[in-house]
Amino acid sequence: MLTISAFVVIKNRTDSEYLTTEIYSMNTVIQINISGKDKKDATDAVTQEINFLNQKFDDFSPQSDVSKINDNAGKNAVEVDNVTIEIISKALECYKETDGAFNISVAPLSKLWGFKGNEHKVPLESEIKQTINLVNINDLIIEGNKVMLRKTGEAIDLGGIAKGYTLDKIKEILPKYNLKSAIINMGGNILTYGISNKGNWLIGIKNPREDGVVGKITIKGSKFISTSGDYEKYFIENGKRYCHIINPSTGLPSDKIVSVTVVSDKGYLGDAFSTAFFVLGKEKSLELANKSGVEIIGFDKNLNPFFTDGIKNEVNIEKGG
Amino acid sequence: MRSTLKKGDKIIVSLLVLFVAFFIFERYVFSKSKADSVIIRSDGTIVKDIPLKDNGEYLIKSKEGELTCIIQSQEVKVIESTCPDKLCTKQGWISKQGESIICLPNRISITITGGNNVVDSTTY
Repeated sequence: MLTISAFVVIKNRTDSEYLTTEIYSMNTVIQINISGKDKKDATDAVTQEINFLNQKFDDFSPQSDVSKINDNAGKNAVEVDNVTIEIISKALECYKETDGAFNISVAPLSKLWGFKGNEHKVPLESEIKQTINLVNINDLIIEGNKVMLRKTGEAIDLGGIAKGYTLDKIKEILPKYNLKSAIINMGGNILTYGISNKGNWLIGIKNPREDGVVGKITIKGSKFISTSGDYEKYFIENGKRYCHIINPSTGLPSDKIVSVTVVSDKGYLGDAFSTAFFVLGKEKSLELANKSGVEIIGFDKNLNPFFTDGIKNEVNIEKGG
Repeated sequence: MRSTLKKGDKIIVSLLVLFVAFFIFERYVFSKSKADSVIIRSDGTIVKDIPLKDNGEYLIKSKEGELTCIIQSQEVKVIESTCPDKLCTKQGWISKQGESIICLPNRISITITGGNNVVDSTTY
């Protein structure tokens, strides 16, 4: 009995240790931590799914569905995978729910500001005015599995929704395996799955202006956590900070707040809404978050935090404010 | 004085004592908090696991390029890198558990791990 008990305890202990894997895909680093009996098989399945979706959505790869749609703008409708149709439909849903603050057709503006490569520049006002004419979500036509952009020069970018959507797909895969828990961090977008070895999950929010974290959120069970901020991709010119999240209606980089974190039950929604909230600023974000049933923690320009009521007691702010 | 325990009872008591001792031992061995260390991954694979107290200069190579990091007074910093954007060298020192320096172009990550009070992951 003793031997068997000892074996079972040690086996369970080994199973509950996380298998940590780091992969590079979706133009970012992805950390996969899975515990439980089938952790190896589950990690393989997750990696495969990420690579598959990356092949479809990566606008840096000429073979991706997104590149094909963009390259054929104003010319042809192109046939794409079901997942591409699905993610575009979800992006359109988020566009409607955020009154256009989340808009995948903003890509020509991101390119104009140099955020598609590394040659950042402040464009002329006339250039912005001209390029804004190429940002029109209604020019994205979907028929069956075919997608077309109406005008040459128009383009879509799934960067603000692809990671969250991929985490949704991963959450569908994990229950097929005998697992204890998992935590997957895809370039800052996190999926927590099951109960952590310590009980609740403790998630750090990166400090927007210094190294380290600005606060910690306690997460119970399975959730999605996404953040948008002005500190990951930006440039400074004449003392002014220009970040990569462009307001689709003004054509200018958003600068109302410095960071916003969304906790939600849907990955795609949390990812897209964090971008939209960053564009909308404090008041409109709180209003929309309450309406949509997601929780948010944001930081204004003075690093003062703001929260939705549902998460107030789960957040521990370390600095700022 | 003669023991009131019979031979069978003694065996059961001994087994119980062993059983409890095993669980205490097992908890102690497996749950002990690990000392802080610096985990370095290149192309996703752990290539170095260095105690944070080991000062020194380390050259890390990947398929894409290489970088040099230093550990000094329980802090880590990238001082040189072959990557084009140099974001890793601009990041400066990291010293807290859970903090990372990631060089995306070189596919090299440097993370401080250890302790029990660390966050599970960080959103950014």
